[in-house]
Amino acid sequence: MTLGPIEIEVIRNALTAAAAEMDVTVWRTSRSTIVRELLDYSTAVFDAEGNNLAQSARIPSHLNSMSHFLRELLDKWVDVNDWRPDDVVISNDPYCGGQHLPDITAFKPVFHEGRRIAFVGTLCHHIDVGGLVAGSYAAKAIEIFQEGLRIPPVKLIEKGVRNEGVWAMIRQNIRKPDLLLGDLQSQIASLEVGAAALRRLATRYGADGMIEAGARILDMSEAAMRAAIGRMPDGTYEFTDWLDDDGIDLDKPIRLHVAVTIAGESISVDMSGCSPQVQGPTNATLASSNAAVMFAVMCACDEPFAANAGCYRPISTFAPEGSVVNARHPAPVVHRIAVTHRLLNAMFGALHQAVPDRIPAAYYGNSYVCTFQTVAADARREVLVEIEIGGTGAHPKKDGVNALSSGMHNNSNIPIEMIEAQAPLTITRYELLAGSGGVGMRRGGLGLAREWRIDSPRCFFTANMDRFVHAPYGLAGGGPAAVGRLVLVRDGIESPMPPKSDNVPLQQGDRIRLETSGGGGFGDPAQRAPEAAARDRQLGYV
Amino acid sequence: MTDKPIRIAVDIGGTFTDLQIMDARDGSVRAWKTPTTPEDPSIGLLRGVGEASGRFGFALDQVGLLLHGTTIATNAVLERKLARGVLLTTAGFEDVLEITRHVRRELYAVDPDPFPCLVERDRRLGVAERMRADGSVETALDEAAMPALLARLDALGAEAVAVCLLHSYVNPAHEQRLKALLRAARPGLPVSLSSEVSPEIREYERSSTTVLNALLVPVVKAYLDRLEAKLGEGGFRPLVFLVQSNGGVCSLRTAAEQPARLLLSGPSGGALAAGRIAQLLDRPNLVAVDMGGTSFDVSVVQGGRVSVITQGEIDRLPVRLPMVEMRTIGAGGGSIASVDHGGRLTVGPRSAGARPGPVAYGRGGVEPTVTDANLALGRLDPDYFLGGAMKLDMPATRAAIAARVGTPLGLSVEQAAQGMLTVTNANLGAAVRLSLFEKGLDPREFSMLSFGGAGGLHATDVAAEMGIAEVIFPREPGTLSAYGILYSDLVQDIARSRVMPAVAGSLAEVGALLAELRATADARLAADGVAAGARHIEVAVDMRYHGQAFELLVPWGDVAAPDASALDALLGRFHAMHRQRFSYSDPKEAVEIVTLRVIATGLLPKPEAAEPQPADRRALKGTRRVFEEGAWRDIPVWDREALPPEDIITGPAIVEEPFATHYISRGWTARLGAAGALIARTTP
Repeated sequence: MTLGPIEIEVIRNALTAAAAEMDVTVWRTSRSTIVRELLDYSTAVFDAEGNNLAQSARIPSHLNSMSHFLRELLDKWVDVNDWRPDDVVISNDPYCGGQHLPDITAFKPVFHEGRRIAFVGTLCHHIDVGGLVAGSYAAKAIEIFQEGLRIPPVKLIEKGVRNEGVWAMIRQNIRKPDLLLGDLQSQIASLEVGAAALRRLATRYGADGMIEAGARILDMSEAAMRAAIGRMPDGTYEFTDWLDDDGIDLDKPIRLHVAVTIAGESISVDMSGCSPQVQGPTNATLASSNAAVMFAVMCACDEPFAANAGCYRPISTFAPEGSVVNARHPAPVVHRIAVTHRLLNAMFGALHQAVPDRIPAAYYGNSYVCTFQTVAADARREVLVEIEIGGTGAHPKKDGVNALSSGMHNNSNIPIEMIEAQAPLTITRYELLAGSGGVGMRRGGLGLAREWRIDSPRCFFTANMDRFVHAPYGLAGGGPAAVGRLVLVRDGIESPMPPKSDNVPLQQGDRIRLETSGGGGFGDPAQRAPEAAARDRQLGYV
Repeated sequence: MTDKPIRIAVDIGGTFTDLQIMDARDGSVRAWKTPTTPEDPSIGLLRGVGEASGRFGFALDQVGLLLHGTTIATNAVLERKLARGVLLTTAGFEDVLEITRHVRRELYAVDPDPFPCLVERDRRLGVAERMRADGSVETALDEAAMPALLARLDALGAEAVAVCLLHSYVNPAHEQRLKALLRAARPGLPVSLSSEVSPEIREYERSSTTVLNALLVPVVKAYLDRLEAKLGEGGFRPLVFLVQSNGGVCSLRTAAEQPARLLLSGPSGGALAAGRIAQLLDRPNLVAVDMGGTSFDVSVVQGGRVSVITQGEIDRLPVRLPMVEMRTIGAGGGSIASVDHGGRLTVGPRSAGARPGPVAYGRGGVEPTVTDANLALGRLDPDYFLGGAMKLDMPATRAAIAARVGTPLGLSVEQAAQGMLTVTNANLGAAVRLSLFEKGLDPREFSMLSFGGAGGLHATDVAAEMGIAEVIFPREPGTLSAYGILYSDLVQDIARSRVMPAVAGSLAEVGALLAELRATADARLAADGVAAGARHIEVAVDMRYHGQAFELLVPWGDVAAPDASALDALLGRFHAMHRQRFSYSDPKEAVEIVTLRVIATGLLPKPEAAEPQPADRRALKGTRRVFEEGAWRDIPVWDREALPPEDIITGPAIVEEPFATHYISRGWTARLGAAGALIARTTP
C-alpha cells in the first residue's frame, strides 16, 4: 500500500488522538492529586523501534524523555523478541534511561497481523516511592538508594497476567501503596486504550501502512526541522549559567556551560563544560538533560512543530559521563528539574547569539518547592506541597510577564482559601514583588512574594529552591532580575532560611516569607520608552 | 404570567438577528432574519419584530413574551468596552487578580502574552480586614480608612466597584458593610460583591467573575434602559427575559444586577434546542455539533439532559458561574489548508474568518479554506450560496487550491480538495469522539445533531468516521439557537461554598444553609412573577474525597431539610458518580462538601407547535456535477422546504435550503421525521 499525503496526515492526527485518549484515561482513572491536579504525566505513541510519533505532554521536561527511555530499554535491558503483545514493562530507574524515581513509566508493544507495529507508553509522577522522606524528594540525599524504590525494567504484566511478586515488592516499599498502585492501574488501562486505537487504525491501513506512515511522519518532521535550523546562522555559540549549590556543599556553585554549534541544517550541543556530578540530588541523567536541550531548540525555531522523534534527529548532544548533566550511578538525581531549568537558561543564552530577535532573557529558572507538614494538638497531620514560580524574561519585542509558570515546568498555584479551609495555615500575603524584574529596554516580568503563618502547635518545613545567589541574567544590555529570598519571621525577628532543607521544625505563629526571582531585562535600559517607564512607576512595578 | 398569544425568541449574532415567532392560537412557529445593528442591537431587534409582524400578520400588542439572547456582555468584554472599575481586596492580596493561577497555555511560546487583567494594579486597593476559613473574624474591617478610600476612588474616576474579600463566601459581613458605606457616600456608584455574584471558594476565580460583573453593570444597564425605553411603541409591551449562560432565562432586573450571568450565553440557545429536539424525537442521547465559519462546537445531551458545568471562561478569564458544557475546536468553513516545509498538509487551526474569508467569497482571500474545497467539489452551488444572496468565485477557488495544495503535493485540484475534506472530517470526528470518551460514553449509542452554517456538508462523513449511524438535521438550522430560546424557562442558580465533612454532624449546618438558599431562590422567582405551582427546585452539591482539589457536581433532588438517610443517598450517588467518571470509588474514604447549589426553575408555559407543512413546489430540484468517490457524477439536489414526509433521499445527494446546504454521503438515506427534522441513517 502506498500512502499519499492525505492518508499520512489522517494517520498522524489519529496517532495524536490516540495519545489524547490515553491521556484522558489517565486523568479519568488515576487516584492521586499529583497526577490529576498537577497534571504531571504524559502519554505517547512510538513506532516499532521506539521512536516517538505522537505525544500528549503538558510539561516540557517530559518531551521525548519516554522515547529515550524506551530506546534504552530496547538497546540494553529487554529482549524485544521476547516482548509479547500482553506484556507490560515498567521502570523508574534513571540509570536505565529514566529521569528520577517518582516517575514510573510503563510500555507495551502493539501488534497487527502478527507484526509489531508500534509501542505505547505512559509516564506518571507518583506521589511517593519510598526513601528518606515522604514524597521521595529528599533534599539531603547523597546517593540514589536514599531516594526511594528503584524498579529495574521488569514485566509488571506478563502474557496478560499480573506478576504478583513485583506488585508485592512495590507495595512493601512505599508509603501510600493504594495511591501508587491505583495510579499504576490507570497507566495500564491507558496503554490498552492506546493499543486499541492503534489496532483500529491498522485494520484500515494494514501493518505495512502503519509502519510506512510512521517512517514518513518522522521524515517529514525531520525535513521541516532541518529547514528551520537551516534558516539560523551557522556558528558556535557558548554560554554559562550557574546553580547556587547542591544543598550539601553550600559554597560550591554548579556550572552549566553549553557550546551550541549550528552547521547547515543540524545542531550539536556540547555540554562538556558542565560541572562534575555533585554529592546532593541536583544531578541529571541524559533523559533529563536532552529534554532541556530539545525544548530549547524547539522554542528557538521560527515555526511550530508537532513534537516527535523526527524533530530531534537534527540535534545531537554530548555530555561526559560523571558530569552534572550525565550523572553516574549511584548519584542522587531527584532534583533533576533544577539542572534542566538552568540548562535551559544556558541554552537560551547561547541561542540568543544565533537568533537575537527571538530569544528572551532568563526566566526565574527554578521550581520553588516547599512542603509544610502541620501537626495539630491531637497529632492530626496535614501536608501541603506548594510549587511557586517567578517572572519571565524580557523578550526583544515585549516586556516579560509577571508571575507565569515558565521553562521546564508548568504548574498552577493552590487557592489560598482552599489551603486555609484544610490545614492550620494562614497565607498572610500574596503579591507581585516590585523591582524584582531586570531593567532594560524591555523589563523582565516580576517575581512574587508569598507568606505562610503556622497556626498549628508544630510544623515541619522542607524546601528546595535555587537562584538565591546567581540571578537570572539579562540580555543585550538588560539587567539581571533580583535573586530570591526565604525568610523566617519569629517574634518579629527576620532570619534567612536555607533554600534547600529537610524537616525544619517550626512553631505556632512563625511566618515563612518566600520572595521569587523575576525575569532578566532585555536591551539598554536607557532605551526604554518613556511612556513604558512611566507606566511601570504608576503601577508600582519598579 | 401573560395571556397574550405571541411569544418571540431573538438571538442576536454578529451578522444577523434571528427571530422565532410562535403563535399559541394555531401552534405555528415561524423564523425571520434581519441584519444586526452592532451600534445598538435593540434597533435591529425591534425592526425585526416589526418586519415579522407585517410579514406573518400579528399585532404587536399580542406579543406576551420576548425571550432575548444577547452577546452584548460578551462583546463588551471582547472589545474591552467596559466601565472604568476599581477592585477592593483584602489588604496584602491586591495582586491575586494579576497573578492568576499562573499556569501557561502555550508550551513553547518564548514571548507569552500575560493573562488579561481588567483592573490594573493602581486601581486595585487593599482594605484592612481578614476573615478566617470558618467565617470568624481575624481582623475587623477598618472603617476609619473609609474617607481615604473614597478619596482614592474619586481620584481614580471609578465608574464601578468590585469587592472580593477572602472567605466572603462563608461570611459576607465585611463585603456587605463596605457596600453599605459606599452606597451611603457615593449613591450612584454601582458595587458588585463577590459574595453576591459568585459566593464560591477559590479567590482568583471569584475575583475574576466579580470584576467582569462590575465592569459590565453600567454597559448592560445602559442597553437594557434603551431597550425598555423603546418598549410600548405600537403597543409592543411584552415581558422581557434574557438568556443566561446556564441555559435558562432571567428577568431584566437580574440581568442588570448580575450581567456576568449573560457572558457565556452564546451556546445556550443551541443546547436548549438540542434538549428540545432530544425530547420531540425521543432521542435521549444526542451529540450536538455546531460548525460555523471559524469554530466547531460539540455539546452532549445525555439521558435527555444538556450537560452543564460550573465554570467557563471568556478571553482566558474564568467566569465561575454555571454554563452549558461545550468543547470548541478551531475548525470551520474558514479553516485554511497549507503545506509546510516538510510536505505536510494541515487544515486549520488558522482561519480566514469572515474577512477576508474563503477565496470563493472574492473579498481578497488567497489561501484555500474548507468552504473552498466544498465549492471545488461541487457540494456548494456557486449561484445558490445563502439562497443566492452571494455569488461564489469558482475559478479563483480552483486556482488557489491548485497553487497552494495541489501542486506542492502533486495532486489534482479535485484530489487536493477531497484531501482537505478528509483531513477536516477526521479531525472533527476525533473531537466528537474525545467529548464522549472523556465522559466514558460510547459514540455508537448516540445520534448526531448537526447545525450551523457549515455543519451539514460534513455531518454524515464525520458520523461515519466514529460509528454514529444517525444524523439529525433540524429544521431552520440557521436560526436554531432562537428556536431553542423559544422553549426556555426561568432559571435561578444560587450557590454557596462551605467546606465541611459529609457526615451527620454537618447536617444542621447544611440544612440551615439550604433553607436560606431555597428561600432566596423562591423569593427571586416570585419577584419575577412565577406562580408557586410553576416553581421547581433542585439541589446539587459539589463534593470530593478529602485531599482532592476538584469536585464532582452531585444532584440531590428537591431536598429541603436533609436527614441521615438523605445524606446516605447523597454519599451513595457521589461514590457511584466517581466510579463512573473516574473508574474507582472508596466508600471508606472521607468525603467533603465544598459547595451547595440550588437550581430554581420557573416553568414558562410551552404551547404545542404544529407540524410544519412542505412548500408547494417540486422537492427534487434537479442534479449537479459533484466530485464523488473519485469521479465527477450528476447527483440529485433536493429542496428541503418542499420535501414531503414520504420522499426518501438516497445518498450521494445534496439537500439545499436558503441558509444551509447538507451533503448526504453514499451509504446514507434520509427522510423527514417529527418536528420537520431531516433524519439521515446508515447501516453501521
